[in-house]
Amino acid sequence: MAEMMYWQGILRAHDEEMARDPLVFAMGEDIGVAGGTYKATSGLFAKYGEQRVVDTPISENSYTGIGVGAAMIGARPIVEIMSVNFAWLAMDQLMNNAAKIHYMSGGRIRCPFVMRVPGGTAHQLGAQHSARMEKVFMGISGLRVVTPATPRDAYGLLKSAVRCDDPVVIIEHESMYNLKGEIPDTEFFTPLEGVEVMRPGKDVSIFAYNISVHWALEAAQQLAQEHGIDAEVIDLRALKPMDRAGIAASVHKTHRAIIVEEDEAPVGVGSEVIAIINEECFFDLDAAPVRVHALDVPIPYNRRLEKAAIPNAGDVVAAVRKMLGR
Amino acid sequence: MKAEITMPALSGTMQTGRITRWNKAVGEAIKKGEAVAEVETDKAILDVEAFADGVLAGPLAELNTDIPVRQVIGYIVDTSEATKTDAGGAARTAATTAPHADGLQASPYARALARDLELDLSQIRPGPGGIIHAAQVLASALAPEDADLRHGPPYTIERPSMLRAAVARNMSATLDTPTFLISSRFATVSLHAAAKQAGLSLTLALTRACALTVAEDPWFNHIWTRQGLARRSRVDVGIAVDTGDGLITPVLRDAAGRPLKELMEDWRILLGKVKKGRIYPEDYQGASFYLSNLGVFPEIERFNAIVPVGASAILAVAAAGGDGRADFTLSCDHRVIFGADAARFLQRLGKRLEDLSWLASGEGGR
Repeated sequence: MAEMMYWQGILRAHDEEMARDPLVFAMGEDIGVAGGTYKATSGLFAKYGEQRVVDTPISENSYTGIGVGAAMIGARPIVEIMSVNFAWLAMDQLMNNAAKIHYMSGGRIRCPFVMRVPGGTAHQLGAQHSARMEKVFMGISGLRVVTPATPRDAYGLLKSAVRCDDPVVIIEHESMYNLKGEIPDTEFFTPLEGVEVMRPGKDVSIFAYNISVHWALEAAQQLAQEHGIDAEVIDLRALKPMDRAGIAASVHKTHRAIIVEEDEAPVGVGSEVIAIINEECFFDLDAAPVRVHALDVPIPYNRRLEKAAIPNAGDVVAAVRKMLGR
Repeated sequence: MKAEITMPALSGTMQTGRITRWNKAVGEAIKKGEAVAEVETDKAILDVEAFADGVLAGPLAELNTDIPVRQVIGYIVDTSEATKTDAGGAARTAATTAPHADGLQASPYARALARDLELDLSQIRPGPGGIIHAAQVLASALAPEDADLRHGPPYTIERPSMLRAAVARNMSATLDTPTFLISSRFATVSLHAAAKQAGLSLTLALTRACALTVAEDPWFNHIWTRQGLARRSRVDVGIAVDTGDGLITPVLRDAAGRPLKELMEDWRILLGKVKKGRIYPEDYQGASFYLSNLGVFPEIERFNAIVPVGASAILAVAAAGGDGRADFTLSCDHRVIFGADAARFLQRLGKRLEDLSWLASGEGGR
């Protein structure tokens, strides 16, 4: 078991999969010679050459289309969009081709396409570079969407995504590339479906994903130490398809649910989780489920306003205490 | 600035309070530390003090309704601000659980539990915010059944005062304590005379005698808890006082160790607080030994008392009979104290009521 950073986990998954299968290749802006904005492909250009580590122009829809087409004829591309904000430009290829071709071809054409997107609000990058687009991807039938919260899952989810015959979007986080964590030395795969219980508890379920898992864990620790509240923290991890049974199992135990999302509330992960809870666990609920979420504004550039727009562990603590009345 | 005034939590057991009076009206100026409202808790009427200078702003919480601790009851605003505040907070809370066709607010889980347990939701006392949660349904399910009054005389239901409700709760909580009783008769005439000479009430003299006797046998200062036996390093004696509307037990701290003069002064202050209904949890909670003296009722030959949760024993002292001797009945928690311990305790207490040198000296007993 070695301690590695999030970006190192992604790099290791690339390297192992590219070494194993010559049809795996990486493509994106500045991923080759420069090694990637977050170093997640560093050294691969030298090792595998320009045929398999492809630097592209700033033309997201075009190179995503190349990747989708390559996937349709049997290659296994890992396409990086430098920032999730620019994935809007690639939406036509992703939605209309990658997500639908397997169905439209009557099952004859698979599309084992992987798109990696660094997302989230980092540090004063401005509204156009602070998007959280999970709500867009998870609304598209035919896609799989996963979000690693730890270096282990950054590695394990990319490994699984490359081997999967469906198109997979992996939403990483710009603030987490230097996050450290244990990754097993032996090869392993994080499943593309299912939640993970990060901290068992009995009083309330806190559902989180990506960076909000860390806010939830911090909040849970504070709730236990200062308020005697035993919170369960669940990493949703797979946003599409969502693990209905995993969500229900936790609510069945605690009877209370809080969903923490870095995104603004309308039409998001929180509303989807609450819909599932409503459908699966209505008679288990001892309190109305609550979302902890970003303000419904384009993310401000001003540092204090930016912080104010995004939730944190303190907001989670406050929401839980209000719900439990203590 | 607009700051919330919330229902204060005045004791560990306090879950709700009732506002009996607003001392100020909306728009009136208030000073930091000033009493803006009076709250009836489970033991007494207390003040809610302003924590800042400003102006009282609404909406103010209703009088004489049970309000959960920490719920907003009003606001303090700067003088520059408008004093009318919208009821947004209250409205939002209400919206989270819509009333059912039966007019009751209950969580789906609480409803499902009540249905499975065949409980009538309308008979369940709601929790915080007036909403029935699972906790209230389970508490109701575990509570003993109410008496069936339908076939008896006609009746109306009155809400007990907070004090009565608290006593009922505390006494019911003692049902899990295995107790035994042990009695003696001791002459109290000389104690009476000596106390009078020292300027003490008989109750206070008895308190001192008990405290000194407890200090000699540490078992009487142990409390049974789920974690283990709690051994206390000081003897605090709670003394039952009749308020006219129920019972309260002001506590004399370190009743064995401190000079009698100090105890007398403390006792005078505590009785004053009881009289005014201004007694605080730190005044009446946490005794390890209790004394109940009904000596002022000459008709009472003998009685026994219930050991409160958190104590090892309680001593019930009746009036002296024609032979000058009074009945002393000790109720003990048998998890902590055994019969022989209790017998020795009464033996030592009896000796102490004969040899009153401890009362003359007046100094600390240790």
